[in-house]
Amino acid sequence: MKAVRLLSLLAVGMLLMSCAAPPTPRTSPAQPAAPAASVTLTIVMEQVPDYDIVAKLTQQFEAEHPNIKIAFDAMPYDAMRDKILTSFLAPSATYDVIIVDNPWMDEFARAGFLLPLDDYIAKTPDYDFGDFVGPLREIGVVDGKVYGVPYYNYALGLIVRQDLFDNPDYQAKFQQAFSKPLTIPATLEDYVEVGKFFKAQGVFGAAMQPQRGYKIFEEWKNWLYAAGGNLIGEDGSVIIDNAAGQRALEMYIDMHRSAAPPNSLNWGFDEALRSMASGESATMLSYNWMLPTLNKPDGPAGTLAGKFALYEAPGGKAVLGAWHWAIPKNTANADAAWTYIAWLTSKSVDKQRVIAGGAPTRVSVMQDPEVWEKGFGRQYYETVLRILEDAEPLARGARAEEIINEVGTELNSAVAGEKSVAEALKAAAEKTRAILARP
Amino acid sequence: MRRLQRELPVLFALSLALGLVAFPYAWTLLTSLKTEAAINRALALDFTPTLLNWRAVLFESNIPLQMRNSLLVGLLTVSLALLVGAPAAYAFSRFGVGGSGLRFAILAAQMLPPATLIVPLFLIMYSLQLLDSLWAVVAAHLTFILPLATWFLIGFFDDVPRDLEEQAMVDGCTPWQAFYKVVLPGIRPGLAATGLFGFVLSWNDLFYALLLTGKNSATLPVGVAGFWTFRGIEMGRMSAAIILAVVPMVFASFFVQKYLVRGIGGGAIKG
Amino acid sequence: MLRSLFAFKYRLLFPLLLVIALILGYPLAYSFWVSLHDYRLTAIAQARWVGLEQYFTILAQNASFWNALRNTVIFVGVAVGLELGLGLWLALLLHRKTTLFRNFFRSALLVPMFVTPIAVGLMFRFLLNSQLGVVPAVLRAFGIEVDWFSARNALLTLALIDVWQWTPFMVLLLLAGLESLPEEPFEAAKVDGASSLQTFWHLTLPMLRPTIMAAVIIRMLDAFKVYEYVYAITRGGPGESTETIQYHIYRVGFLYFRLGEASAMSYVLIAVILVLVIMLFYALRRESLAQR
Repeated sequence: MKAVRLLSLLAVGMLLMSCAAPPTPRTSPAQPAAPAASVTLTIVMEQVPDYDIVAKLTQQFEAEHPNIKIAFDAMPYDAMRDKILTSFLAPSATYDVIIVDNPWMDEFARAGFLLPLDDYIAKTPDYDFGDFVGPLREIGVVDGKVYGVPYYNYALGLIVRQDLFDNPDYQAKFQQAFSKPLTIPATLEDYVEVGKFFKAQGVFGAAMQPQRGYKIFEEWKNWLYAAGGNLIGEDGSVIIDNAAGQRALEMYIDMHRSAAPPNSLNWGFDEALRSMASGESATMLSYNWMLPTLNKPDGPAGTLAGKFALYEAPGGKAVLGAWHWAIPKNTANADAAWTYIAWLTSKSVDKQRVIAGGAPTRVSVMQDPEVWEKGFGRQYYETVLRILEDAEPLARGARAEEIINEVGTELNSAVAGEKSVAEALKAAAEKTRAILARP
Repeated sequence: MRRLQRELPVLFALSLALGLVAFPYAWTLLTSLKTEAAINRALALDFTPTLLNWRAVLFESNIPLQMRNSLLVGLLTVSLALLVGAPAAYAFSRFGVGGSGLRFAILAAQMLPPATLIVPLFLIMYSLQLLDSLWAVVAAHLTFILPLATWFLIGFFDDVPRDLEEQAMVDGCTPWQAFYKVVLPGIRPGLAATGLFGFVLSWNDLFYALLLTGKNSATLPVGVAGFWTFRGIEMGRMSAAIILAVVPMVFASFFVQKYLVRGIGGGAIKG
Repeated sequence: MLRSLFAFKYRLLFPLLLVIALILGYPLAYSFWVSLHDYRLTAIAQARWVGLEQYFTILAQNASFWNALRNTVIFVGVAVGLELGLGLWLALLLHRKTTLFRNFFRSALLVPMFVTPIAVGLMFRFLLNSQLGVVPAVLRAFGIEVDWFSARNALLTLALIDVWQWTPFMVLLLLAGLESLPEEPFEAAKVDGASSLQTFWHLTLPMLRPTIMAAVIIRMLDAFKVYEYVYAITRGGPGESTETIQYHIYRVGFLYFRLGEASAMSYVLIAVILVLVIMLFYALRRESLAQR
């Protein structure tokens, strides 16, 4: 029966594709699943160490819920978005639980692919949705409805080699040159100054990530915030090319040309991390949870482990990326899917996940002395909380991915010297307006 | 001695080419023996070798299973491509079926970017319930390997003198017998080369495999690409996987290249 | 006899047409249909008939598309040209019966093509990295400083990576061609006392032409599909200088979900490639006819 239905659907689709209805849910969420029947949930995950943590915790879940089996489909990041999308397009979902990256959230929610979670959240006792850090929680809210609950934060912070900043020699030299003490930079001017200073001492001032598209957009947006600018202003108009934007890009280019490693136009996350880990660079703007990785005794930094520290990005306001748990509208197992998500993101299980090394999302977890002690120490979690509280999403809106890429292209052009700062920002603004104006 | 003198420059040139070919692999092998920290200091050669990456790839990852999958997909794709492509290529070469138009039409299908084909392919595989099966990947790979294999074989059939099969038919062979008993053995090098290149294209494909395979049917490129995560590239393990992927292929190509030597069939008829 | 022969040739062709129809029929029809619609993967229900509008927009206004196409043509030209030259030279050396360790070289030189291009891209991304890579370090020892991924060099660097990976493929195809050439003409030339250069120019090259053509066309079509190196190394940058057509179409179709526009681009691309291939085909064929 099922095969016939599918084939006829396909045949109809071939003839009348314009009439193809969007995938309809096969069970409405109001209809609770029969408690006796056992279900298997297929969950899409990225194949990273954090997946191992979740998989391990899930054994507890399966013990507590004998009716629900969990099958993970772990895959490379590049495959995830495409597979999730094709799962939406299929008449019945391949996945019952998915994770959604920040730039996809609005697009997927507005396309009607995701199930609103408000009722579920309201019905779940002790869930305390408000406990998730505000900016992180807000990413999962689209047009007033909750479509995702936070799983992972990708907020950026300033990671520095603390031993270089503490070095009395450098401190004395800096004092002499600039008649002020060598401190962690709090403004863009300070940051460029410190970067150039370290370059003169034989250490690159900043391992930057000017790779075209996503990477430069993500990194530079911190500079933009620090200069007081933004991509889109309070009134909804595109303001990336205003004076603050120009200043941010000019300083970014100044830093790249004078203090970053040479020939690094195509550098992304990996190169910057390796440059830091090998002791060639003094600072980088990167994901806050890279700090424990760098400080891990057998980690990528070798003997430099323990010498890194995390601070808020210059200017204080950080770029925020995130993974959210979500339920596809076309799954047949929505209730069981929520049971799993609610369990995994509950205060107690989330605490275990963070202790095991996962990125924190809940305020209560970051303020928990047990987490401090068993995790990476009080200072780290307090800094992360500060970063998260003053953070703004990488991008919002249904066409975030396209805006990120197009603006990222113009920014990279300017850093490469192919366009002037004004030209590049003007083009970026025009492209963004055109993308937003499209029906 | 004279021979050696004449051969030395050739040997030098080939060794130089081999050096260029082998160096990145040697470096990759070296990388696979390093810890994460040593990889980040790529230029320092005083590292202590470790087998951690190899252990992780061989025993804790799905790479061995994925190699098996890739092998199966490659062999199935190539067998089908040769089985279907060779007769068609012969028809194009000998009888000019469909004129140049059909030949190019077959190629045109191959030029369609995978990004356009993947959605309809996915929908077909979904409706046939073939997702997460090797057949889905085989079908996808045939979309580009079959036209290319056919095209390449046309050239080889063009090279076989026509009097060969005419002679065979005078001797009482049917056209079909003349084809597979006389002509086909004559283009053995062409078949071997086509088989090998078809296999390589299938072995390397990432795009289709990413979307059409699942946990059990993932192919090697999917596994290798999996070392590139949002948290960075796991260089050590990826390097081990690369070396692991290359070694059996070197042996296979050593085996196949024997067939690259002129077919016996052609020579036998001549005499 | 004639009738059975007529039937025979179609029987030979039938399996190919059947398989192609099975695996490509629906995808081709679907993608063409989609190319005539404003078809977004996130709003399939609102797909709207636009006829040829997207084709006109691409032809007339889409600077990024044409820039990507231009980059790709340069990439293909440089890469396949070098691969043909190097490949022919190596194939000739490996074809000589007297070459020492011939079998060893024949299989060892094929190695680069056995690794998935995305991994090759990542390998070279780090090998060529000016701070972490060994190649710049070695070159620096000789006083040479190259920025492999600058706006001016990046596309050529990617083409060189392609040459590294796919010259062996050219060697393989050309070697197979050389091996299937008849021996008599060469023996005759030897008897006539022709120099090896004369033999190559007047005998080997004309006779090898069908194989060269097939090899070049196949490699060209494959090189037109390049996107892995771009994805792994530059993401199309600096600026748009390494944006290739496949990467562009992938971005529009899959990253931005505008499958209709991407499909229209695909058909424009097919038309462009087909023109190139047919031109090449007839250019080579005319020459080979002239030689006869």
